[in-house]
Amino acid sequence: MTKLIGPIIHSGKTNRMMMVLVLVSLAPSLVAAVMRFGFAAALLVICALAGAWLTELVIDRRQAFDGSAVVTGVIFALLLPVTAPWWLALIGGMLATGLGKHAFGGLGCNLFNPAALSRVILMGLIPGAWFISTAVTIDGITTASPLARESGLLAPTITGLLSGSIPGTIGQVAPLAVLAGGLMLVSLRTIDWRIPLTFLATVAFLALVLPPGIRIEGHAPWLLGNPLLHLVGGGTLLAAFYMLSDPVTAPFTPGGRIIFAVVAALAMMLVRFYTPYPDGAALAVLLANASVPLIDRLTLELGPPPSLEPPDNL
Amino acid sequence: MSSLDWVFSSAREALYGRQVPRLKTTRESAIITIPTPRRVRLLSDGLNPVVEVGQAIEGGKLVARSPVNERFQRRIHASLTGTVTAVREDHIIIEGDLPERPPLTHGVPEWIAPEAIRDTSREAGLIGMGGGMFPTYVKLSHPAPIEVVLVNGCESEPYLTCDHRVLVEQRDQANCGAELAMRAVGARQGMIVDREINYPGGYERLLIHDTLGKVVPKRGLPRDVGVLVMNVQSALALHEAVCLGRPLIDRVITVDGDAVGRPGNYRVPIGTELGHLQKVCEIDAAKAAMILTGGPMMGTAADEATPVTGGTGAVIALTAEELGDYRPQPCIRCGQCMEVCPYNLPVAHLVESPHKVVLDCIECGACQFTCPARRPLIEELRRAKAVVTAWD
Ligand code: SF4
Ligand code: SF4
Repeated sequence: MTKLIGPIIHSGKTNRMMMVLVLVSLAPSLVAAVMRFGFAAALLVICALAGAWLTELVIDRRQAFDGSAVVTGVIFALLLPVTAPWWLALIGGMLATGLGKHAFGGLGCNLFNPAALSRVILMGLIPGAWFISTAVTIDGITTASPLARESGLLAPTITGLLSGSIPGTIGQVAPLAVLAGGLMLVSLRTIDWRIPLTFLATVAFLALVLPPGIRIEGHAPWLLGNPLLHLVGGGTLLAAFYMLSDPVTAPFTPGGRIIFAVVAALAMMLVRFYTPYPDGAALAVLLANASVPLIDRLTLELGPPPSLEPPDNL
Repeated sequence: MSSLDWVFSSAREALYGRQVPRLKTTRESAIITIPTPRRVRLLSDGLNPVVEVGQAIEGGKLVARSPVNERFQRRIHASLTGTVTAVREDHIIIEGDLPERPPLTHGVPEWIAPEAIRDTSREAGLIGMGGGMFPTYVKLSHPAPIEVVLVNGCESEPYLTCDHRVLVEQRDQANCGAELAMRAVGARQGMIVDREINYPGGYERLLIHDTLGKVVPKRGLPRDVGVLVMNVQSALALHEAVCLGRPLIDRVITVDGDAVGRPGNYRVPIGTELGHLQKVCEIDAAKAAMILTGGPMMGTAADEATPVTGGTGAVIALTAEELGDYRPQPCIRCGQCMEVCPYNLPVAHLVESPHKVVLDCIECGACQFTCPARRPLIEELRRAKAVVTAWD
C-alpha cells in the first residue's frame, strides 16, 4: 500500500465498476437486438468488441482490463445497421479505441466519444458499407441507418416500441430497452441525469418549433416533427444515455452539462431538419464534444466562482 | 473494500445520494471507563516539565507547562495518581492508578466571573477536543464580539459516536460548559447541535452555515461572524474544570472497526497507549491492517506506543478489506468529486489547473473517498494550494 494522505477508507467504487454498470445497462439492448436480428447482430457486436478490446490490449496492456474498451466496442456495434459487414464492425472497434481514445492519450484524455468518432469517420470514408444492403431489408422494415428511406413508417405504436420494430441500427430497434438501461444508470447515479433529460427535452421542443426545411427525398419521417418519433427514432436515446453521458467527453460542471446537452440537441435537430444526412446523432455528439473545452472554460473559469454554500446532500 | 461493498455503496447512493457513510455502529454503546492502564504517556513536546523522575504525583496535578513567553499557553496534568517514571524531551510517563472521578453536578456557580473562567480554562489545559487541540482559553479571550456559542455534537466522521454518548449521558454537564463559555465571551445565545449529519457536515464552517446561515469568510475564523464553536467534550471539560476544579485528564473515545473485538465508547485517561486499548478492547493485531487515531477520514496511522491525546476522538482498527485501495487510475472526469465536495469545488479540474478557489478546500477528503479513479486528491489539492499561494 502506498503512503497515503487523506482518508483511509474508500467508497469502493472503481472505474472498472462504472464500466461494468454501463455494460449491464446495455444488456437489454443487446438482448433485444439479438432477439430481433439473431446471429447477424451478435456477430457484429462480437466483432466490434474484439476490435476495440484487442486494439486496447496492444496499445496499453494496463488499461485493457478496466472495461472501457468493451463499452466502446459495444456502443459502436449498437450504432451499426444489422446489414453492415462484419469487417466494418471490426475496423470500427479498432478505430474507436485506437484513434478515438489512445491517440488522445488513453482513458480520460479523449476529446471525442470514441464510438461516435469511429462511426462518423467510417461513414465518411466508406459510406457504401453502411448502406450497401438497403435493398435487402429484413422483414421489409429494417433499412440501413435510421428511418432514412422509410417514409412509410410514421408514428410508432407502443407495440412497435416493445417488439423492436422501429427501424434503425441494431441499438435503435428497441428504444424501450435503451431507455430501461439509461434509467438504470441514472438511478444509480452512474451518469448525470441532467444530460439525458436536457437533451431529450430540447429535442422534443425543437421537433415542435423548428420550421420544416426543404423537403428532401426519402427524408420524410423526421420532417413530420412528431416529437415522439424524434425521441425514440435514430440514435437519440443512445446519444442521450450513452454517448453524451460518457463523463470523459462531457463538461465537468452540472451547468456546463446542461449547455452541452442543449448544444448537442440543437446540432442533431438541425442535421435532421436541414441536411440530407439521415440521423445526425453521432455527428451531434462530436460537435458537442468539440465544444466541451469552451464550455468548461466558460463555466469554470469565467463563470461564477464555486459557491460557498454547502450543498444540501450533507 | 471488497467489490460486494461496492454494490452496497451503489445501492446506497441510488437511495440516499452520494455520501460518505456514517457507520455509527456504537451509537448505543454506553460509555465504559477502561481498566487502569499500567502507565500513561503524556506528550509534552515544547513544554517545560515541572516534575522529576521518581516523584510521587497525584492525578490532576500539573506535570508540564508552556514557557512563560509562549503565545498559546498549554498545560499538561497527571492523568494517573502514582509515580513519574520518565521525563523525556517530548513525553512524560506516569505509572499508577486512576484518580477518582468527582460525582456529577451541574449548574453554573453564580459568582464565577468571565476572567475566572478564562484563567481556569488556561490553567486546566483545556483544548479543542474535536481534533483541533487549539487552547480553549485563547478562543474565550479574543476581544471579537461573540453572539452565539455553538456546541458541536455532530461528529460526522464515520464510526465516531463518543460525543453523541456524552450528550446522551452527560447533557446537563455539557450544557453547563456551554453556559460558562457564553459567560466568558458575553454571548447571548448558545446551542448544542447534535443532528445526524453525514461527513463532512460536522466541520465548523459547514455547521455554522447549516445552523445559522452565516458564511465564515475564506481565510477567516468563526469569530469573524460572531460565532464560537466548541466541541461537546471541550464544553464538558470546561464544566469540570470550572465547577469541579478538575483539569483535562481524560476523555471519551470511540473504539471501532472490524478488527475490534469489543467496540464501544470508552473513557480513557489522556496518555493511554494504544497497546493498552488493544488488550482492553480486544483489537486483533493479526486482523488489523491499520490502527488509526482519529476517524477514518482525517485520522493518522498509529502504533502501540501512540498515546490518546486530548484531541483523539477515536481509535479505529481496520481490516485489510476495510482499507481503501488507492492505486490511482486515470481520471474519467465523472464529476463525483465535485458532487460530494461541501464547497462544490471542481476538484479534478483544480488539481490540473490550480485556481485560487482551491484555498476554500478544507481537506475533508470526501472527494478522495468517492473518486472511482482513486486518485490521491488530497495530496494533489495540497500541491495546487501551494502553487496558488505562491502567486500572491
Ligand atoms: S478526480 Fe475522480 S471523482 Fe473527480 S472527476 Fe476524476 S475520476 Fe471523477
Ligand atoms: S476539495 Fe477539499 S473540501 Fe472539497 S471534498 Fe475535497 S478535500 Fe473536501
